[in-house]
Amino acid sequence: MKKVLAMIMAGGRGERLYPLTRDRAKPAVPFGGIYRIIDFTLSNCINSDVRRIYVLTQYKSTSLSRHIQFGWNILSVPLGEFIGVIPAQQRMGEQWYQGTADAIFQNIYLLQQDMPDHVLILSGDHIYKMDYRKMIAFHLEKGGDLTVAAIRMNRTLSREFGVIEVNEDRRIIGFEEKPENPKTIPGDPEAILASMGVYVFDTEKLVRRLIEDARSESSHDFGKDIIPRMIQKDKVFAFDFRDGDQGGTGYWRDVGTIDAYFDANMDLVSVTPHLNLYDFHWPILTYQVPFPPAKTVWEEEGRTGMALNSVLSNGCIISGGSVRRTILSPRVRVNSFAEVEDSILLEGVEVGRHARIRRAIVDKEVQIPSGMQIGYDLEEDERHFTVTSSGIVVVPKWIKL
Amino acid sequence: MKKILLVEDEESLKLLYSEELSGEGYEVFTAENGKEALRQVDLVKPDLIILDIVMPVMDGMEALGRIMGKERNVPIIIHTSYPGYREDFMSWAADAYVAKSSDLRELKDTVRKLLKRGGEG
Repeated sequence: MKKVLAMIMAGGRGERLYPLTRDRAKPAVPFGGIYRIIDFTLSNCINSDVRRIYVLTQYKSTSLSRHIQFGWNILSVPLGEFIGVIPAQQRMGEQWYQGTADAIFQNIYLLQQDMPDHVLILSGDHIYKMDYRKMIAFHLEKGGDLTVAAIRMNRTLSREFGVIEVNEDRRIIGFEEKPENPKTIPGDPEAILASMGVYVFDTEKLVRRLIEDARSESSHDFGKDIIPRMIQKDKVFAFDFRDGDQGGTGYWRDVGTIDAYFDANMDLVSVTPHLNLYDFHWPILTYQVPFPPAKTVWEEEGRTGMALNSVLSNGCIISGGSVRRTILSPRVRVNSFAEVEDSILLEGVEVGRHARIRRAIVDKEVQIPSGMQIGYDLEEDERHFTVTSSGIVVVPKWIKL
Repeated sequence: MKKILLVEDEESLKLLYSEELSGEGYEVFTAENGKEALRQVDLVKPDLIILDIVMPVMDGMEALGRIMGKERNVPIIIHTSYPGYREDFMSWAADAYVAKSSDLRELKDTVRKLLKRGGEG
């Protein structure tokens, strides 16, 4: 069995998710009630038997480090397994990470210590379920220097992704970041292959290319610099995500914007979500405080505690209010006569009596006062909160209302 | 005149290399360890660095990483009699490796070649 080391990039600022990223890095943003975004990548690693993992952090990493420390202390160091959280250390000069490739370059000593055969480079920003073993097997079978995971997308989305061009042997012959006129898949003029930011490298090749990149004029980014240069001189292949997609729904999301984040959460309250969290063969692990079970109380005319088409986490009490198509994180309380619809309430939120909330994301610990309305008068909401172009209201953490 | 930073902790070798390189028409600056070398890189802005590996205070391998953080384009020659350095990934960042020897032809040739590659300006 070849030795694989995973390096998870968890240093992105997640600017477009502001204000959810005001106090936390993007991988630490809560998702789906009880998870943080990084739980999906970490769970993929564990479920794929990749159990030597470094998480590279940078901005606002306290929340992320704490989550991993509390929730992911599950591996056995004596068996050679670990999850190490590595903050940016400025080991090579006095700058923070300049790009994704620089983040790995500045941590070359970790590769030196571990001496893996292959390095699996991942992003902590994405939500998907993937068996990395299938990709590593493909990499070995092709005998390449680098394998890039690729997902089929409609060509109209090319401006958001790195677009891969392959030949019939799946060798990558072209790579463009966010092109206007993308190269489509041979035989399918409507589809493109988009890079998922998931890479398997042979260690020596990775180190050599990182050093070359570090010594040249470059933005030090895998997508912009390393891959385009490697396809010129090395053997680079594309692994079709469909061959490693756990669940087979083609689900992969870069929840990079508030709207994308909102939609990905709302998918979970549908009857058959694209992202199946109930596949017990592929558990998504997380850190959970052992709160008591969720409960609903009161059943009177106009004052019935109920939740319909919603996700409920432990510690929630719906006390005489109604909740529809909403994600409730742990320890949310919805009081009598309150109405919550199409929303995401993060941990510890309390909704006061007669308050009404719709199409909103309410960050942790916010107390919504009695009678307050959010999402019904967007002009008014804009004076206090972030409101996206599609009308999603974001109520930031610790705000006093 | 091209400026060379010679990083070497052993006094007698430092003198020898320094004189030989000056004789080739280079302006030679010296440092006795990695820490001193980093200071010199800032002060002198050398055109080329000859770097010993085993040194007190800060060794050449650590200095190499840090020099790259400051001046990523300056050519670096690892100049050592210690063979184990190639096991360190960072050594791959050097432009050339020359084993220490009493015959300085290889070192001089390598310096000439690298300075030429860097262009005349």
